[in-house]
Amino acid sequence: MGSQSIPTVSVKVEFGGGLELLFANQRTHRVALLARLPSPASGTAGPSNDGQSDVAVAAAAAGRPADVAYLIHWLRDNLLTERPELFVEGETVRPGILVLVNDTDWELEGEGDYVLKEGDEIVFISTLHGG
Amino acid sequence: MSCGNPTVESDALMPRRKKYDKTRQCVRCKLSTGNVVIRYAVYCKECFFPLITHKFRRSLEPSVNERPQGPRRTALKPAGNLLVGFSGGLGSTVLLDLVHRCYVSMDQSTMPSDGGKQHPRHEKIWKRVSVCYVEIAGAFPGMQDSSPDVETLIAQHDGVDLISLRIQDAFDPAWWQRVAGRPALSDLDFDLTTEGTSPLTLLLSYPYGRHTELHLIFNPSSSSTPLEKLQAYLASLPTATAVHSTIQNLIRLLLLHTALQTQSSHLVLGTSLTSLAMSLISGVSQGRGFNLKEEMQEEWVPSVPDPAEDVSSITTRRRYVRVIRPLRDVGRKECTLWTWWTGLRVVAAVRPPWVGARQDIGTLTHDFITGLERDYPSTVSTIVRTCAKVAPKGEVSGLCLLCARPVQHGIQEWKSRISIRTRDVPDAGEQSSAQVPAPLAPHLCYACHTTLTSKSSRPPPALYPEISRSSVAPAPVWVLSFMTDREMFQTSRMNEQDQRNTLKDFLLED
Repeated sequence: MGSQSIPTVSVKVEFGGGLELLFANQRTHRVALLARLPSPASGTAGPSNDGQSDVAVAAAAAGRPADVAYLIHWLRDNLLTERPELFVEGETVRPGILVLVNDTDWELEGEGDYVLKEGDEIVFISTLHGG
Repeated sequence: MSCGNPTVESDALMPRRKKYDKTRQCVRCKLSTGNVVIRYAVYCKECFFPLITHKFRRSLEPSVNERPQGPRRTALKPAGNLLVGFSGGLGSTVLLDLVHRCYVSMDQSTMPSDGGKQHPRHEKIWKRVSVCYVEIAGAFPGMQDSSPDVETLIAQHDGVDLISLRIQDAFDPAWWQRVAGRPALSDLDFDLTTEGTSPLTLLLSYPYGRHTELHLIFNPSSSSTPLEKLQAYLASLPTATAVHSTIQNLIRLLLLHTALQTQSSHLVLGTSLTSLAMSLISGVSQGRGFNLKEEMQEEWVPSVPDPAEDVSSITTRRRYVRVIRPLRDVGRKECTLWTWWTGLRVVAAVRPPWVGARQDIGTLTHDFITGLERDYPSTVSTIVRTCAKVAPKGEVSGLCLLCARPVQHGIQEWKSRISIRTRDVPDAGEQSSAQVPAPLAPHLCYACHTTLTSKSSRPPPALYPEISRSSVAPAPVWVLSFMTDREMFQTSRMNEQDQRNTLKDFLLED
């Protein structure tokens, strides 16, 4: 039986408004995620966190496609270098962070439920600059 | 009958309201698919820029002429120049860009389409556009000075000049002399300067010992620098909230006096809808409810005479500074998108590195409104619209010595009615027969009095560990000018010995 390549989805992630300071001071990142997260194998006692958030575990358990909500937690778990509370609050981004999906407000795209496609550009901008 | 328990019944949960009304089509052009949701309304990127520009002009231009425009719009002819208050933050950056496009570089894409290209509104309105930046790094040890970044940014905008101040200028007699054209002490006609002595400074004396009220006293000035005086003033404040609101007041007064110096009739600030909601709520929390209207828009008539004014002229032009917030209908989200889509850089986005700065009313309000803006975006604009409708009761009793805003009549009587206090009445023999400066409290607004006297059960960490809190602190340089304007002192010529005898009880030993 030949091995099958695991489908991934590659997206461009940008940070603005000072958020880049939390991600190694780098404004642009290329991220490759599993396009559809596998369900856990049968017989396992239960999902093992391995440091992943509840959303990521739930996504893996359900076999959900990778969406923006999963991307947020993936970024926190893999790219964030400091102060996670300044990026994530609960299961979504902290209040005051604007998210654009392909130059469009994520509120028009279903927010965290937007399913990522190959080549998408996701931008996270902090609005907490003062007047 | 079900109990509607969402844990048991999945459809018992109320469906989450959509973040936008109707469809994803732009509500303005009705052609393109939308790119942004602004308080449930959808706009495309092409319509976003004219929308924000229109809101900016709509908020500013009705206030340009000295008299309000009637139903028939006339040409815009301001009484003076334009000063842009620039903090380096998000709103300021957007404001500067809009001012430059609309009034300096005359970007055609920002021009109203009606009236034709030859309409007078397409001509330059302001003879001179200046930008004033106040650096606050001196107030917070360890804070980065953003002045070089601001200077670089402003240099990229042709046709505007930068006036860069430091917040300690509020305690600098040299700055006051540049603005008012003469030293502050000469207003009182006190002349104690002899060889080897230095002019007096005005000190704010907190209640201590038998003195239960705030007072102003005079002291021979030491060699303290303006920065040291600023830090002594801030160190004397009782709460973190007081530090934050004092800095805002100092910046405001510096900007107002700079507007006078630049012959500007209009001072524009980059306060967004979101920031305005924060300042209104935190202001009411601190007792600024009487000045809600001024927080949104105000007209300040200075007591400082114009150094350039020809006193021999029969007709003198009424001087005023109108403080306008043209972005008051533009939310923080829109400001962020403007900077992102136009490639603008926000230079000063750093919070002061003082732990106490996270514990004050201003910061708590900021976090509260930020959460509201995400979950219930309409409530933020409702706050501002409601405050615009509120008209506080009460008469005005002069202007506050510290913040130059109207003082509500009867504050001290009200405070004495609602509080229980003991007052030590000094013996008649203790009173000097010489003139005594009036107590400060009757000349302060409620909020400034509370700022100076309200104590916290949990004092913040010391802003300057090496400076202990003192019962006296230097007063900002404009206080003396405001006092003489109200004739708080009788002036009469005394010989030098009488002057020293009069003031010996108020002089502090070095």
